[in-house]
Parts: sequence; structure tokens; C-alpha cells
Amino acid sequence: MERAMQQCITQYSGLVLSIASRYVKNHSCVEDIVQETFTDLWKSANRFDPAVASESTFIGMLARRRAIDFVRKESRQPQFEPLADTESLPHLSIEPTPFIRGESVDITAAIQELSEETRKIFSLHFDEGMTHPEISEKTGLPLGTIKTRLRRGLIEVRNKLRSADSGNAPQPYIFINS
Amino acid sequence: MNDHDIQNRFEELEAGRILDDLDAGEIKEWELLAKDPRCKRDFSLALTAAAIEAEFLQFKQSELPETLKEKLRTDIAEFVIPVPATVVGFPAWRRILSATPFAWGVAAALAILLVTKQFLQEPQSMQPPSLAGVALAPAEAKNQLMRKAVDLKETDFGGLANYGQMTGKVIWSDTLQEGYLTLTNLPVNDPAVRQYQLWIVDPKRDEKPVDGGVFDIPATGAVVIPIRNPVAVNDPRAFVITMEQPGGVVVSKQQIVVAIAKAS
Repeated sequence: MERAMQQCITQYSGLVLSIASRYVKNHSCVEDIVQETFTDLWKSANRFDPAVASESTFIGMLARRRAIDFVRKESRQPQFEPLADTESLPHLSIEPTPFIRGESVDITAAIQELSEETRKIFSLHFDEGMTHPEISEKTGLPLGTIKTRLRRGLIEVRNKLRSADSGNAPQPYIFINS
Repeated sequence: MNDHDIQNRFEELEAGRILDDLDAGEIKEWELLAKDPRCKRDFSLALTAAAIEAEFLQFKQSELPETLKEKLRTDIAEFVIPVPATVVGFPAWRRILSATPFAWGVAAALAILLVTKQFLQEPQSMQPPSLAGVALAPAEAKNQLMRKAVDLKETDFGGLANYGQMTGKVIWSDTLQEGYLTLTNLPVNDPAVRQYQLWIVDPKRDEKPVDGGVFDIPATGAVVIPIRNPVAVNDPRAFVITMEQPGGVVVSKQQIVVAIAKAS
């Protein structure tokens, strides 16, 4: 098991580090987030379901969540009222989560189908790590427009990934109705 | 607003939550709608955002500093079950089997995460102990179980498709967490090409079937196979044998289902 965990660190630590670094600039805090993400992973690995997401997407989600939580705490933004434990991971989701493979080719295609303006905003947000106000300043678009474009773009990409994956989802476990 | 509009509004707020751009008023609205039975919620948007981010970052990934790698390696120790370095005997095997479900869950899920070969082909010390270390021969152990178990369940196997000639029984004790298959007329397999794998279906425990171990049929005739369940199974509703790649798989694609024993 230890060897498997070591390999997991080797394979995905670069991704986790990059995600943490995108949200947090303090080097020491980034390292804390990486450590906490892997602790989350060890604790929640038994909830990983390959029928719901790929490994990198699952681990990326854990890293994003850790990094965003950190930013919220640091900036003293309003916190969410904690929900039940079912909030925690896809395995325990309230509704079954459709398969999101997150294949590079599908994501690229889905993003390409967005409007040019939304693609630009996506690039500034996800690629360059800009905040909404920074994007607003750079593009001259109102803050509300940035928010709306990002939110609707995310929903649109999700819908496209779903339809791209609808014929490819692995058979979700087995066997018979008891 | 009708139900459809409410769901759409909730989904937009959920996207904002994932993107971390909700204002205080929207957070309150999201919290209210999250409790509304008309609002359906899953993790697809969180996964999509992670997938997009990973896509944009794929060529920008940095190497972890060695000091941080060392910290992560140190952290691993808290989550690893120590396993004896040699093939262990029956008492030690039982002790390992009774390790916390959490620890076994981590092991099982990591096997999924790293999809397979390295994990399944770990050196002997990392694998579940070999049957060679079990004190009793399977047939003798089975007879002993039949004598001592007070809650023994017995179910017949039925062969499917090309395996219609096979017959067999499974016996299982929830209390002792022990069971055996007795199988006849299963074709001999070449372990280097394919192996049989047992699955235990216990819906009360998990929707996913539990891996009951990989086994071979080395010769024609009746064989007794011990069930090796890595986690507790409390109410098995069915036992299923599939044919898989050497070493077995973590999740079966059910391409070859050999036989099923379904509890009445």
C-alpha cells in the first residue's frame, strides 16, 4: 500500500502544487495546502469512484477545494453554513453524479465551443489565475458579466462533457439485483 | 418561478460556489435552495472545474521541493497498515483481515487509483499473505468451519454460458467471517493468461461487490477454495465468479461471468 501511495504522490503532486500555487502566493501556505490535500486524499481514497471521475479530476477537485477554503479563510469572506457529511465527496453525493471523465480532448473541444468572449475569460481565470476584478479591469467588462460568463460557461462545459462521456461511461460495478 | 427555473437558478449559484464568486446574499440563497427538495445537486460542476483547471495547468506543473516530498512520505506512515515482511501464518492473517475498514478502504481505493499492475504485483510482503501460510488445507478448514459455525449459509452455484457444466456450493459464516467454495467441472485455467476471481455482493455494506480473492483451477475434479474477504461482509446476497486478467482486477467489467450463487 505504501508503495502505491508513494506513486500517487509522484504522479499527482505536480498537479496539486500547481493548483495550490494558482490560488495562494505564499510558498509556505502552498506547501501546507499540498500536504492537506494529500491527507484528504488518503482519508477519502476509499470514496473515489472511477465510475464518476478520473483520478486526476478527483485529486484536482480535492486540491481546488483546499486552496479555495484557504483563500476564503484568509480573506475572511462569508463562510458556508456546513451541510451534512453528504457534502463531502462524490461517492456520497445527494444525487448520483454522472460520469465526468475529463479527457483532455473533450475539455479542449468543449471550451472551443464557448463564445469567444467566454473563452477569453476562461483563459484569464483558469490559465492565468486572475481574479474576477482583475479580469474585469483587463477586459473592461462589468464584474457581473464576468461572473455570469464564468458560471454559465462552466455549466455549458459540464453539459458538453456529459454528452461526450455518455457513451463511454464505465459500467458502474456489478452484478445482479439481489 | 417554476421548478425548472428554481433548478436553473440553483445550478447557477452552485457554479458560483465552485468558482468562489458568490456574494453574501447569494451564499444565503444557495444555502436555502440547497435544502429545497426541488433542487437536485451533484458534484459534476466541481469535477468539471477541476478538469478544466487541470487542462490549463498541464504544461505548467512544477516539481515538488524535496523537503515537501519528504513531509508527504512521512505523513503516509499514519495511513499504512504494517504488514509482516514474510509469509504469515493463520493467526496473523486473521489479524490483518480484521484491520479497520478505513485502512482497508484506503488500500482498496489506492489500488483503483493506481489502476493495478504495480499494486497487484507488489513483492510478496505487500500482498495478502499466501495461502501457503494458512495452517489448514482448504478442505480440512472447510470441514472445521462446518462443525463449528452456528450460522452457516449454504448456496448453490450455477454456471453461466460456456460454464453450464460446472456445479458448486458456497458456505459462509457471517459470525466467523469465513467461507469456502466447492467447485466441480470448472475448466482448468492458465494463471499466466487468466484467473478466476470471486466477488461477494453485500448490498447492505456497499453497492460495490467485495473482492473475494483470485484463484486457479489447476486440474479437473472438485476443488475447495477459501474465500478471502479483505473487509467484513455481514449479509452476502450473492457470490459471483468472473474470469479476469492475471492477478485479478479491482473493478470487474464482467466480460466473462462464470457462475453465480444467489442467496434465496
